[in-house]
Amino acid sequence: MGKIKASSTAEYFAKNLQQVGFSSPIKAVLTTLKEAVDNSLDACEDAGIAPEIKVKIKKIGRGSSKSTDLVDIVIEDNGPGLDADDLPKVFGEYLASSKFGKGQCSRGQQGIGISAATTWAQLTNAKGVKVVSKTKKMRKAVSAQVDVDIKANKGKIKNKETIDWDREHGLKVEFKIDGRIQLNGDGGLLTYLEGTALVNPHLTLEYELLDNEKVKIERVSEEVPKVPPSTLPHPHTMKLGEFITHAHLYNTSTLETFLKKGFSRVTDHSIKEFIKSGMPKNALTKKVQTIPDADFKNIFQAIQETELTNPSTRSVLVVGEEGLARSIQRLGDIDFFSVVTRKPTICDFKPVVVEVAIARFLDRSSKEDEPVQLIRFANRVPLQFDKGGCAITRAVESVNWRAYGLNQPRKSLPLGPYIFAVSVTSPFIKFKNASKETIDASDELVEELRLALMRAGQKLSRHIKRENKAADLERKIQHIEKFGPILVEGLAKIAHASDARKRKAEEGLERLLGRDTKSALEDLETAEEKLAVLKAKQKEKLGDMAKDEDGDYLEDELIKTTKKKVAAIAKKAASKKMASKKEAAKPDNKKVATKKTATKKATTKKVATKKAARKK
Amino acid sequence: MAKSLRHSKKDIPKIARALCDEMLRDLEHAKRPTLQAIKCSLDNAIYDPKIGYLAPGKKKVTTELNVSSVQKLARTVFLLDIMLNNVELGTVNSTREFYYMAKGLVKSDNHLKPIDFDDQNESDAIIYYICDMLEVYREELNCFATDRGGQTYSQNLVVTETLPDGKKAVIDLSKLGTTPFQPKNQPQVFSLKPKKGKIDFCLVIESVSTANTFVHNGFTKRNNCILLGAQGVPSNGVRGWCKTIQDQLDCPIFFYGDLDAYTLQNIFRTLKAGSAASLIRNSDFSAPDVKFLGVLPEDIKKYDLHCYDVKEKDAAEARSLKKARDVLSNDPFFKDKKNKALADILRWLVKEKKRCEQQAIFSVNPKDPTMPEKIILDKIKNKSYV
Repeated sequence: MGKIKASSTAEYFAKNLQQVGFSSPIKAVLTTLKEAVDNSLDACEDAGIAPEIKVKIKKIGRGSSKSTDLVDIVIEDNGPGLDADDLPKVFGEYLASSKFGKGQCSRGQQGIGISAATTWAQLTNAKGVKVVSKTKKMRKAVSAQVDVDIKANKGKIKNKETIDWDREHGLKVEFKIDGRIQLNGDGGLLTYLEGTALVNPHLTLEYELLDNEKVKIERVSEEVPKVPPSTLPHPHTMKLGEFITHAHLYNTSTLETFLKKGFSRVTDHSIKEFIKSGMPKNALTKKVQTIPDADFKNIFQAIQETELTNPSTRSVLVVGEEGLARSIQRLGDIDFFSVVTRKPTICDFKPVVVEVAIARFLDRSSKEDEPVQLIRFANRVPLQFDKGGCAITRAVESVNWRAYGLNQPRKSLPLGPYIFAVSVTSPFIKFKNASKETIDASDELVEELRLALMRAGQKLSRHIKRENKAADLERKIQHIEKFGPILVEGLAKIAHASDARKRKAEEGLERLLGRDTKSALEDLETAEEKLAVLKAKQKEKLGDMAKDEDGDYLEDELIKTTKKKVAAIAKKAASKKMASKKEAAKPDNKKVATKKTATKKATTKKVATKKAARKK
Repeated sequence: MAKSLRHSKKDIPKIARALCDEMLRDLEHAKRPTLQAIKCSLDNAIYDPKIGYLAPGKKKVTTELNVSSVQKLARTVFLLDIMLNNVELGTVNSTREFYYMAKGLVKSDNHLKPIDFDDQNESDAIIYYICDMLEVYREELNCFATDRGGQTYSQNLVVTETLPDGKKAVIDLSKLGTTPFQPKNQPQVFSLKPKKGKIDFCLVIESVSTANTFVHNGFTKRNNCILLGAQGVPSNGVRGWCKTIQDQLDCPIFFYGDLDAYTLQNIFRTLKAGSAASLIRNSDFSAPDVKFLGVLPEDIKKYDLHCYDVKEKDAAEARSLKKARDVLSNDPFFKDKKNKALADILRWLVKEKKRCEQQAIFSVNPKDPTMPEKIILDKIKNKSYV
């Protein structure tokens, strides 16, 4: 048997980087970007700074490994910056985090990601990360290279110098790594950046990818979300073992004090309810340390059987319907959107908030028969891989989208040019793997996601119904234009009718079918009104209601086109009617008309005379 | 087909012109024109046991011009024009030819493009609608379907056909060797006579290949009979041919086919009493005297025939059983007490959920190729039919 020796955490991760998102050259670029941006956002939010992040990614040569490029990734933020002493800890040491185990809704949790990115840079390009940092207190910025001392799990600082930097505070990191750049698709850089912008309305993001033009997405909210402090745990979020461990932190207090001070949502009233559910009353006055472990089970069971108020909404961070609505509009020209934020609830003993945004973009080339683009978020971080087993994917697939007017193959994503953005926020998200790509699909969480999706679907269906009515009207108008003339021509041919009869029949047909389209137009208008109410609500929330000069809501292009067509048909029919009247008004025709009227008058007179004779 | 239908008593061009003239007049007055046709469905079918076939009731289907029906009406008038031309010139075309003719005309004229037919079913539906509307047979519009089924063998039947030019063609079926005589799916004028004496019986077999096997094994050599294959649901040609045999030859007609709901309600009922879809032509296209020889439920036990269970998990089988239940409560043919014995077979099928193929008689004694013939003759002799 060989000698047993302990390895450092850095050593473990250096050999298992695939577990934390560096399993392929494409994922390496995305994960590096993601870790750096997440850190910047967390740092800005902690310091109450509205984040402004610049991203620049380009190819600078051939990579050292086969089929890879040497990719330069630069991320710069306006965050509080880091002290020079913290640089090696943050970028070069694994599990060095200010958030580990705190139970907050922050993006980063364990302090693994950015150190893994440094390790990847070091393994593939023999250089760690280059960092420029400046805090408010510094007169000059610190520039240094940080490497990971893999054997010791420590950061090593190199080439440290002070430099001038024309900003008050901030951090700039530069990784040169082996990788491949993918812009679009589920695992694309653009998908990540747009997703991040969507769930961070307060973020100003500027990015320059490869040789493409620089893009700047301005913030739509000045309010920097405060990550809620870790609140007291909710009794229903614990398992028995955790409950006992937690209790021993209050050894010298009585059980009643422990329950009231150690948990959220436990009041005098709840304690009475615990007793009704079987908790021994005399245990309340006992000190926690004197209660045997066996009795804890009874106490725990009584608590679990009692209904308690949901955990504090302060423990989870919500983007909010308004923020999502504003944010989604800056990603492109939107035809329609619906946003839903559910109330916080408990799923699998953990507080969770689910938010859904569904939008259809006018300027994207996705097709009707392709699946919708599903963007998943966990604590405001886009999840871009392993879509299959994720709770969000499962929930989307389990909803019957046909009921809301979308096409959907059996047990699959719905089809159409839509983007479905679904966000799960919780201090304790259960992921399936260390790279945090897939949320574990528990029944409770899937059901909560379904409820949010169905609500968004209901809003969506109003829009689709209006579209169907518009399509119906369009179809009816087309029918008039297509089949009417063929019918009349065929009838006139078989009946050997004259051209004049044919023309008159054509006019009659237009009048008849015009009545049908009128009723279709009325249906459309009803659907349109319902949708306008919904849109007005959305726009009121945004404060930039699109109204015309008279204060009416602006109509969209489809309605305008169909209304124009109906008006054209009516005008055509009216002009033909006028033409036939004019024809009748010509002197020759007038004579015929006068003659006809005279004959008619004479006949009436004759009948009247006959009637009078009979009476006599 | 039995009768000459080409010389219709109706003046079809005149009726059609009047109809179109009326529609045109309605349009001139911005009034919605309507077209009426006999409702060809079971709920408008009347079964009178004295006449023996399904006749139309008084219900009519009215199609009023609106945005939804304008396409159908435009197509109707377009095809009517082509068909009237045939009637006036005395030329004929098949339904398939009409489909391709219509397509050709549409393709060559952009203005007609909207009424293009995607497949023949679409043009066929319009042709049948025109027939129902004018209350005429499709054949009266000089429109024929492709020949199907009716391959007939006999050593004692002579068919005399009067051709359109008045000449007569005499066909002695015993002289045709292994080739069958096949009636066409269009009007033919036949006169049937036995070569000598009287023909004992006529046997209509559901499957043409089974009929051929019978002939191959010498059935028609040993028996003074007519043997014909229906080829599934009988075509107008087969239905008219059976009626001619019934009307002109004094011999019993037996039908032999599968013991299943589809055969009873779709094949045998159509042959005997016509179908709901062809209410207006059942009088000329049904042979009410035909008897159901088998396979009967009692034959399974008597002749030890292989049968098997109907699986309701199979969508087609489940549909068939459901249809059988519906037929028992809605079809006037099966509801009539004259056909109680046939309805009882359907009830047995629904209850037992079993089926037996017509070919099961080949397995009774595989070493004796004449066993199927023996069973058929035994059944006729013992009057084991319904």
